[in-house]
Amino acid sequence: MKKLNLKFSVPLVLVVLISTLYACKKNFLTQAPLGALSPATLGNKAGVDGLLIGAYSLLDGVGGNGGGIDGAASNWLFGGVAAGDAYKGSQPSDGGADALPVGNYTYIPANPYITSRYEILFDGISRSNDVLRTIPLAKDLTAAQAAEDAAEARFLRGHYYLELRKQYGHVPYIDETVTDYNQPNNVEIWPKIEADFKAGMAGMLATQPNKGRANKWAAEAYLAKTYMFERNFAAALPLLQDLIANGTNAQGQKYALNPVFQTNFSPEPSQKNSAESVFAAQNSVNDGANDNNGNKGDELNFPYTAGPGQCCGWDGPSQWLGNSYKTDANGLPLIGTAAALTPYAFNTVGGDVSNTRRGAAYTGNIDPRIDITMGRPNVPYLDWGNPQPGWIRDPTDGVFTPRKNVYSQSEKGSLSDASPGAWDAVESVANNVNLMRFADIILMAAEAEIEVGSTANAETDVNMVRSRAANPAGWVYLNSAYSASSSTYTVNATPADKYVIGLYPAGSFANKAYGRAAVHFERKLELGMEGMRWYDLQRWDGASVADPITGSDGSMAAEINAFFASDITINNQLTGAHFTAGKNEYYSVPQQELDRSKSEGKEQLIQNAGY
Amino acid sequence: MFKSLLLKGRTLCLLLCCMVSSLVVTAQTKHTGKVIGGDDKLPVVGASVRIKGTNTGTVTDVNGDFTLTLSPGNVLVVSYIGYVTQEVPVNGGAFLTITLQPSSSTLNEVVVTGYTAQRKKDITGAVAIVDVASMNTVTAGNTTTLLQGQASGVTVTNSGQPGGVTSINIRGVGSIFSTAPLVIVDGVAASLDNINAEDIESIQVLKDAGAASIYGVRGSNGVVVVTTKRGKQGKATITYDGQYGTTDPLSKGFNLGGTQTYMQAEFLSYKDDGHTGAGNPNPQFDPNATGTWSIPDFISPAGAHTGDPGTTIASYTLNPVTGTGNQVTMANKVGTDWFHEVFKSAPTQQHNITASGGSDKTTYLMSLGYLDQQGTLLGAYEKRYSLRVNTNFNVADHIRIGENAYMFYKQNPGLPASSNQNEGNVISYTYREPPIIPVYDIAGNFAGTRSQGLSNSQNPVADATRASTYAIANDWQMIGDVFADVDFLKHFNFHTQFGGTVDNFFNSNFSADAYENAEGNTNGNNYGENSGYNSNYTWQNLLTYNQQFGKHSIKVLVGSEAITTYGRGENANRGGYILTDPNFLQLNTGIASTQTNSDYIYSNRLLSYFARIEYAFNDKYLLQANVRRDGSTFFAPGHQWGTFPSASVGWRVSKEDFMKGIAWLNDLKIRGGYGEAGSLGGVPIAPNNANNLYGFSPGGSFYDINGTSTNTVFGTNKSQIGNTATTWETDKTSNIGFDATILNNTIDVTFDVYKKAVSGFLFQELFLSPAGGAQAPFVNAGNIQNTGFDLSATYHGHVNDFKFNLTLNLSHYSNIVKSLTPGTPYLDVNSGGSSRLQNFVRLQPGEPVGEFFGYQEQGLYQTAAAANNSAGVPWYAGAEAGLENLKDVNGDGTVNANDRTFIGNPNPTLTGGFNLNASYKGFDLNAFFYGVYGNKVANYIKYWTDFPQVFDGNVSANVVADSWSPAPGANNSNATIPMLTRAANLGNTAAFTSYYIENGSFLKLKSLQIGYTIPSDQLKRFGISKFRIYVLGNNLFTITKYDGLDPELPPSNLTNSNLSQPDNTSFGIDFGNYPSNEKRYTLGVQVTF
Repeated sequence: MKKLNLKFSVPLVLVVLISTLYACKKNFLTQAPLGALSPATLGNKAGVDGLLIGAYSLLDGVGGNGGGIDGAASNWLFGGVAAGDAYKGSQPSDGGADALPVGNYTYIPANPYITSRYEILFDGISRSNDVLRTIPLAKDLTAAQAAEDAAEARFLRGHYYLELRKQYGHVPYIDETVTDYNQPNNVEIWPKIEADFKAGMAGMLATQPNKGRANKWAAEAYLAKTYMFERNFAAALPLLQDLIANGTNAQGQKYALNPVFQTNFSPEPSQKNSAESVFAAQNSVNDGANDNNGNKGDELNFPYTAGPGQCCGWDGPSQWLGNSYKTDANGLPLIGTAAALTPYAFNTVGGDVSNTRRGAAYTGNIDPRIDITMGRPNVPYLDWGNPQPGWIRDPTDGVFTPRKNVYSQSEKGSLSDASPGAWDAVESVANNVNLMRFADIILMAAEAEIEVGSTANAETDVNMVRSRAANPAGWVYLNSAYSASSSTYTVNATPADKYVIGLYPAGSFANKAYGRAAVHFERKLELGMEGMRWYDLQRWDGASVADPITGSDGSMAAEINAFFASDITINNQLTGAHFTAGKNEYYSVPQQELDRSKSEGKEQLIQNAGY
Repeated sequence: MFKSLLLKGRTLCLLLCCMVSSLVVTAQTKHTGKVIGGDDKLPVVGASVRIKGTNTGTVTDVNGDFTLTLSPGNVLVVSYIGYVTQEVPVNGGAFLTITLQPSSSTLNEVVVTGYTAQRKKDITGAVAIVDVASMNTVTAGNTTTLLQGQASGVTVTNSGQPGGVTSINIRGVGSIFSTAPLVIVDGVAASLDNINAEDIESIQVLKDAGAASIYGVRGSNGVVVVTTKRGKQGKATITYDGQYGTTDPLSKGFNLGGTQTYMQAEFLSYKDDGHTGAGNPNPQFDPNATGTWSIPDFISPAGAHTGDPGTTIASYTLNPVTGTGNQVTMANKVGTDWFHEVFKSAPTQQHNITASGGSDKTTYLMSLGYLDQQGTLLGAYEKRYSLRVNTNFNVADHIRIGENAYMFYKQNPGLPASSNQNEGNVISYTYREPPIIPVYDIAGNFAGTRSQGLSNSQNPVADATRASTYAIANDWQMIGDVFADVDFLKHFNFHTQFGGTVDNFFNSNFSADAYENAEGNTNGNNYGENSGYNSNYTWQNLLTYNQQFGKHSIKVLVGSEAITTYGRGENANRGGYILTDPNFLQLNTGIASTQTNSDYIYSNRLLSYFARIEYAFNDKYLLQANVRRDGSTFFAPGHQWGTFPSASVGWRVSKEDFMKGIAWLNDLKIRGGYGEAGSLGGVPIAPNNANNLYGFSPGGSFYDINGTSTNTVFGTNKSQIGNTATTWETDKTSNIGFDATILNNTIDVTFDVYKKAVSGFLFQELFLSPAGGAQAPFVNAGNIQNTGFDLSATYHGHVNDFKFNLTLNLSHYSNIVKSLTPGTPYLDVNSGGSSRLQNFVRLQPGEPVGEFFGYQEQGLYQTAAAANNSAGVPWYAGAEAGLENLKDVNGDGTVNANDRTFIGNPNPTLTGGFNLNASYKGFDLNAFFYGVYGNKVANYIKYWTDFPQVFDGNVSANVVADSWSPAPGANNSNATIPMLTRAANLGNTAAFTSYYIENGSFLKLKSLQIGYTIPSDQLKRFGISKFRIYVLGNNLFTITKYDGLDPELPPSNLTNSNLSQPDNTSFGIDFGNYPSNEKRYTLGVQVTF
């Protein structure tokens, strides 16, 4: 009996054990997420604040879905290289399968650059929408705070949509109320963009507690820019005039051009977010992010070795851009003249250190902004000395190096990143990306004045910008130390080249065609290497107003193909490049979006004409 | 579900007890006895014991015991499948011990098949049994490699790297994510990689759902069941196994050019473009722009000659942090053979001591192992110290307890610098670093691409040396379990087991200032540590009922299992180290402001209930059915549970009367089964798959809203989009096969055909961009199907004392993507390494997983006219004579993205292993061949070595001779390489084309071993019972048409551009892989005391 007891008791105990396990099944299979926040924890002021910062953090085009060098805020490839400001650079095969085809218009809609920019912008929109969705849940927000936060979120959303609209044309619109992401892209979204900026204007403060926040004036400036893209000059002009007369930056400083041009490109916190800064992507380094908050989108766009970069020699300014800075005896640009366009006619001062293929040195007059816009052989490059042969990675890269996105040697390690182990740390920099600066507003005003206002006002505006460029304190000098803290050379005795820049004489814009050309050319000179050129050409081509592309006058194709024809003699990476009018005025909608739209059962998306 | 089964079991049990007792006929004397196997001396369970000439009899219980009432003179007929039937006369003694001798057929092997053991004869599922004896002839630190070619249906791909990645596919590509099978070691999930091969007793591979579905959600990719050696009753034995070997690097390397060829190719790439003379920019080979080229005496200063300024040691300057200065470096005019600068002959040694023994109450085994495998690659090695202790205690007649414990300490820093793939590691630098660069400059410091105009590669000797100076990678693991077995009610057994793995690791590394490189020389040094632990615990309870009565044999198993997995760890880095002595480096000794930190944490659980029934009638008709129910924390409530049933049947045709007359057929069993198993796919990398979550990261959501340039403000963003409907992926396998033994037991054949259909495979959802940047959830997105056959055949032969076995294992699978998410036409994927050529692979319904997708190259354009279409327009932008002639697939008169097509399938048609085992007196011989046929390989290395414009790295030895030349009158009829040029377009370096596709078939003699066992009578006086000495050669030859090092390529294991997670969508791509076909010669001894 005793034995039998054991025989039965053992299995009995075990059965009980199993049953116990069975009983705790429910708990056993419950696992709270680790290392993340649930939506419920964000329905308060702190949550909304965090989400809003998260939405700002994608302004640089890095840190979300897509983005990076492929989707940079600076639009260095889409806005610059593809419009002739610069070459893709590096060696031919570096980016030969992805970046180069974009610049040469031989890309396919599955190109990763095309896709990444689209993705990161929609990620920004998604984050903005998350702010708008969460605000109603945050009961501890005051009405004023809620309104301000919502206005900022709508402004950011407007910014991201504007970037999408000008790049891709056909853009699906998703706001905070939409849960089905498969929306059509055949509806014009300019009115939606306008509405967001109008909401920003109405809801945001003029003076903000943080330098990097948008304010109501930034929203007004963006609304004006939106109208410019719509070629609604009549609507844009009063806004631009208001901005020039009354606008202030987020700190309440009245908008003004910095006396020294270089100030706009300094990574110093004392110079960033200046009176000229309307809105910028704030970049930071040595902040615990392992170099990921520096201007990562431009991390390849540095001289090759031994200067401020350790790599990669991309985005070298083109001969085409360099030629544009030639001036006549009056210091005015040679707009559209043969002398300006001829390659080899102008190389650089003092001969070419890298090779001798490109003809004699140019000895004529030149706009001083060239040496702020690009590094040239034998011209001091901030405090790095003269650019060295090793800065040019490949002979196809020409002889110029990017300059607006770099830092000074004295700032290395403090305003460039010092994260150990990151291959690109020294190219991760605290320079902001100027999304809109006051000079842009002034030149847009000039443009609008030409079209619907007073040509005299246009002259005044353009000359305002040229006057600043003419300030000798802002030039580059030989035999002088460079002070990063003031963005100036300390001894202004020997200009690095024959800088001659003059103002347009009164009445010269009376000829509207000339005035228009002058204003357009001034944007090239002032905003060169800032990723604007392509979009300007698009606006002037009339291409962006409606779809299908109508009103195209072929001017965009003409200029870009002229660039190819000219610079292919220097850079054979441009072989096969061709801009097709009626097609390339927009980039293609990414292939993956078309495919995924279909896979969700509805073919909501259409491709742009010609792709 | 479980409770009702248990109840049913009890009822059944009572019923059966009555039936069995009714069979026992009353007679004079009660006898008890025990039946043991002559091979393993273990009790034979369920053997039939019958009185000859009567129908009276019984079967042995789980201890091999039986009780019968007998009369003197009775003769017992004892039989059991796999043993020779034996007749035993009953004499006076009341207790009989009957030893059954095994019959020679391999069908008698006991096979551990999912929680229980079966004779192979009784198996109805598809199970491959690995011949452990011949497995041991392949020397390697990684046990997984031992499986290669040894089991049909199992495709194993090796890396030659010590401790490197090995991949196993069982019956094709079963998932887009991991296809790794479940590995069960002594009942606990573990890894094959770290097991001491000497400890292995047996390996079985459960291939179809009929066999594997008892493992439910973990069984989809097949199950590898490993049992380790245990002590046996008898006197203690001590065995020593030792071997020492040396591995030689591949003699050919990447077949690269020397300095002469390199410089000429560089020059021609400019010249062919018309850019020579005044325009020739390279400061090294034509500094004076003469339009010709020469090899300089110095590369730093660039292009200098002896006597030029700055070329003496007196003018040498170098800042070792920034790399600035005049680092005077002489040109290596012959050419540095970088491959053989980093690949050197290397020793491997392995020692193992095993002590085992036991009594009828206790058995024990202790095994001590040491492995030191030095890689041929400078700085690559694995060292492992291991200890296994397995013990059993019979605490009472019906209660046994025991444990398995395996502990090891491993040092394996992986490859020096970076991973084993892509352009930035030591192996790829051996083909990228120009040969004109010497290893050292004139002052003895490392030379490199800092010398101008010589690419952006790095000095592989420098990288490997630095990495191996500093890299520390320690891993401590303990794997094991404790268990108890209770027999009760005669036919029942209860087994409970608690086991698991605890893995602790600590790694540190230091990247020193690399002054000699063109790039990467100004970012400062970096010291990093990471440490953490991973753990999993399994609690398993099994109840078995086992009885034979009459011609019926029945076995029922019910069980439960609970698995808990948890781990966490952290990673920290600092930089700015001024003193870099390895003994000094710690986090604290770096600059605090440079620090970066990160952590990981995970936790998940699996709860399972399962049951199996095995039924046999008259050894002729076999039936097995399984069902398992699994619940996981990875899915949302309501979708956590999956049920995986399977059933298989067997018919031993040879037992039928109508087959009796067929003399050549010894045994034939036809099997068939159908079942379902599951998989988590990639879900384990997304543990919060069901949840909508927000996250944060300094680089992704923090922002410097105050414009400080150096301080950010906290921000957050949506980090995970949840999907509550996601559940298991299921694969349904149908299998038909047979096992046959023929021609007087000389030939065993096992053959299976199968269809394995994966439905609802888990795939990360592809959202439209407006969904934002949150991680997309895994969803059940598509179907894949594998069909194939496995064949295994062995011939046992002997001529007098010369005995031999020939074994062939052959596997074929054909894989096809049946569907993707509805409406998704295809998915282009690339692995991180291929980003310079964009996507290599397209996943598309109707095509196999991993098929290469790109342009079809059909030779070169021989004339300018050929490069243009009928309208006189170039076929593609930049097309010209001498570039690749790309096929206009859609015939629209232009070559563009729409002309890309499928250009090669990396899945093999056949993989196979061939084993020869022979012995003659004291000598033994083993040869093992392994081959793969019909797969294509993408040789991405050609992108780097056939095109000088690709970063100006080294070039193929034949690049000048075999490239198309634009020189007037050049004979280009045999040109295979496009014209050397600086331009990048579709016709050379801007697209993935079939130019890179090669035949990946190969045949390797993986091992050849000759051994001699000294006759034991000569050794007895030394206390030695066995002494064997052997020589072993590995990889003595590889026959292949492949141009690269080794066509055997592990999965790219890189990041899929769309999914941001490693996956299995691209494989068979050679980025410069560590070869696994290096020759190795080993001498070994085995001594048993």
